[in-house]
Amino acid sequence: MGIYHFFAIGIILFSIGLIGFILRNNVIIILMSVELMLNAVNLLFVAFSRYLYANPDGQIYVFIIMTVAAAEVAVGLAIIVALYRRFATLDVSKINQLKG
Amino acid sequence: MEAITQQIIFWILGITTITAAIGVIAASNTINSVMSLLVVMLAAAGFYMLMGAPVVALFQIIIYVGAVLVLFLFIIMLLNPDATGLSMSRKLSVWMAGIVSVGMTVVIGWIFWQSATQTNMQNVMKNHVCSCTIHDISVVLFSRHLLIFELTSLLLLVAAVGALLMTKKTREDRS
Repeated sequence: MGIYHFFAIGIILFSIGLIGFILRNNVIIILMSVELMLNAVNLLFVAFSRYLYANPDGQIYVFIIMTVAAAEVAVGLAIIVALYRRFATLDVSKINQLKG
Repeated sequence: MEAITQQIIFWILGITTITAAIGVIAASNTINSVMSLLVVMLAAAGFYMLMGAPVVALFQIIIYVGAVLVLFLFIIMLLNPDATGLSMSRKLSVWMAGIVSVGMTVVIGWIFWQSATQTNMQNVMKNHVCSCTIHDISVVLFSRHLLIFELTSLLLLVAAVGALLMTKKTREDRS
């Protein structure tokens, strides 16, 4: 068991998150797909920090990414609440006022 | 821990993670989606424990499971939205998503494989042993990465103020 195993898990998770981001129409699911991708990146950071570079810098970047993810979720869910109040739906294909 | 035990734990966690991640994007009910995301987060914490990073595993559980997922659940229960399924009416987008994500996976894997074979990664890995205790992490965090640490506190303040401002009712909404 080494870096290859964790790398495989990381890119599979990232791809699943990408598929969800492109395919789903629900804003909340899209935000969750972003969280999935961030988690995949975190996994890769820790794996590389542990198995390749052998210093704790990667884990510190993981802490920073977690903070940014928390801030992103706070702002994103605030946007979702505002959207729901304005359009009464969470379907992104129905929220198309900017479309020409 | 023995190597074979680690292998078994790794495969159990891996299968759980990928199944739950598919559940996140495939569930028709949003609550089921959040529950699958919970399983993904807990399995990721297990991966961190397996890699000898218990601090990251602890913060994963505290921040993601304790804060982020509860926020998601709170918003879903507050809004009670209709379940919006897969956008199956747009067949083209399904194919595009498949092509883009598979292509991206192949490209990243190929780049990793190239760099792994060129730098002779096995030798590099044998020579280093990570001493990633909480003491080492704190020393590096509060010396070399102090500026980033302070900047994230500013980011959190801005995010809190922004979230408040975003959900505030404007004058037109009230009337």
